[in-house]
Amino acid sequence: MTIDTDTSENSLVSAAPTRRLTIAKAMTEAIAQEMRADSSIIVLGEDVGKLGGVFATTQGLFAEFGPDRVCDTPISESAFIGAAVGMATSGMRPIVEMMFVDFFGVCMNSIYNVAAKNCYFSGGSQPVPMVLMTSVGGGYSDGGEHSQVLYGTFAHLPGMKVVIPSNAYDAKGLMSAAINDANPVIFMFHKALQGMGWLGTVRGSITDVPIERYEVPIGQAAMIREGADITLVGLGITVHHALEAASELQEKGISAEVIDLRTVVPLDRDRLVQSIRKTGRLIVVDDDYQSFGVASEIMALASELAFKHLRSAPARVAHPDVPIPFSPVLERHLLPSSAKIVAAAEKMIRN
Amino acid sequence: MDVKIPEGLWADDNEGIISTWLYADGDQIAEGAVVAELMVEKVTHDLVAEGSGILKICVSEESPVKPGMIVAKLK
Repeated sequence: MTIDTDTSENSLVSAAPTRRLTIAKAMTEAIAQEMRADSSIIVLGEDVGKLGGVFATTQGLFAEFGPDRVCDTPISESAFIGAAVGMATSGMRPIVEMMFVDFFGVCMNSIYNVAAKNCYFSGGSQPVPMVLMTSVGGGYSDGGEHSQVLYGTFAHLPGMKVVIPSNAYDAKGLMSAAINDANPVIFMFHKALQGMGWLGTVRGSITDVPIERYEVPIGQAAMIREGADITLVGLGITVHHALEAASELQEKGISAEVIDLRTVVPLDRDRLVQSIRKTGRLIVVDDDYQSFGVASEIMALASELAFKHLRSAPARVAHPDVPIPFSPVLERHLLPSSAKIVAAAEKMIRN
Repeated sequence: MDVKIPEGLWADDNEGIISTWLYADGDQIAEGAVVAELMVEKVTHDLVAEGSGILKICVSEESPVKPGMIVAKLK
């Protein structure tokens, strides 16, 4: 296992003209490159050291940077995330992994009352340049406290940036941008897109990734499929559902445009409004709980900024407002899917 | 040409799995490209193509594998 792909020791990998990575490896590569350039960057969290992260986000970092910069922590999010916030306020740039986003409950004070607000409270003199990376998402029957995405929960509270890549190229670029951002950035990664095998692998998340360092700017959505009749907005795994739906819709004579949010906060309102004004129809695909979330916000945006262009009421395909079930049958039934998007689009266009 | 899991990549008696194929059937592969990731006892290994050609996968994701096994062909 090698992550050190930009040095000459690793001739096998760097000899390859194209190189495909999973999101997990792309994240790791970005972290390693930033750590080589800036000794104030450290990584901490549960099992991020020798194990390399339970979702393979830190493979090989311990071997390269050692225990002083890649630190395994006890199972106490309130302690180690609090510590990361303190480090970030005193000149370091910590990257801290919260294994599952669902665990935020025990450490939220450090995140939303301190990390998110300290820059404001200190009149800008004490920013908190930390990255909190955390796994999100269900679909593999892990129960209601290991399957949530909670985009809306973090997006609602001001002071934090929130990003979620749908593919390896964006994952590397967003991670580098997040590490170099002066604000706290919540870097979410969807478990089903990590290329871990046992969590399922979504083919489209594995992409060609440049070996050299680059950034994907935070705050820019991407139009990844052009269309004329309807706009499908997704983030993380739901981008892939939307793309699949767009292909099916094309066979039915419906031309769907697909937008990958990439960043939830700050939301790329310009890109969204441009597409909604063009197509006049909007479906947001969100694997978060349906109400009060990212889907709701984008629908509000459509009514505020694109009302006159709408040809029908916007819709959302999201998880209903109940905890995510453990039962595989129930969970599959409740999560967004391409079939649900196709059905919603056909209904919208028929009306 | 065969894509084979190198002998001695890990201790012979343990089974691993192919966690991810990074390419699909029919993709053009360049020599030296990492074509798959293998997982053995929670440790990830890269599987490197030792030649170039069009990929034909013989062993699917999640399937158990051992060192020495041919898991794909390059034509």
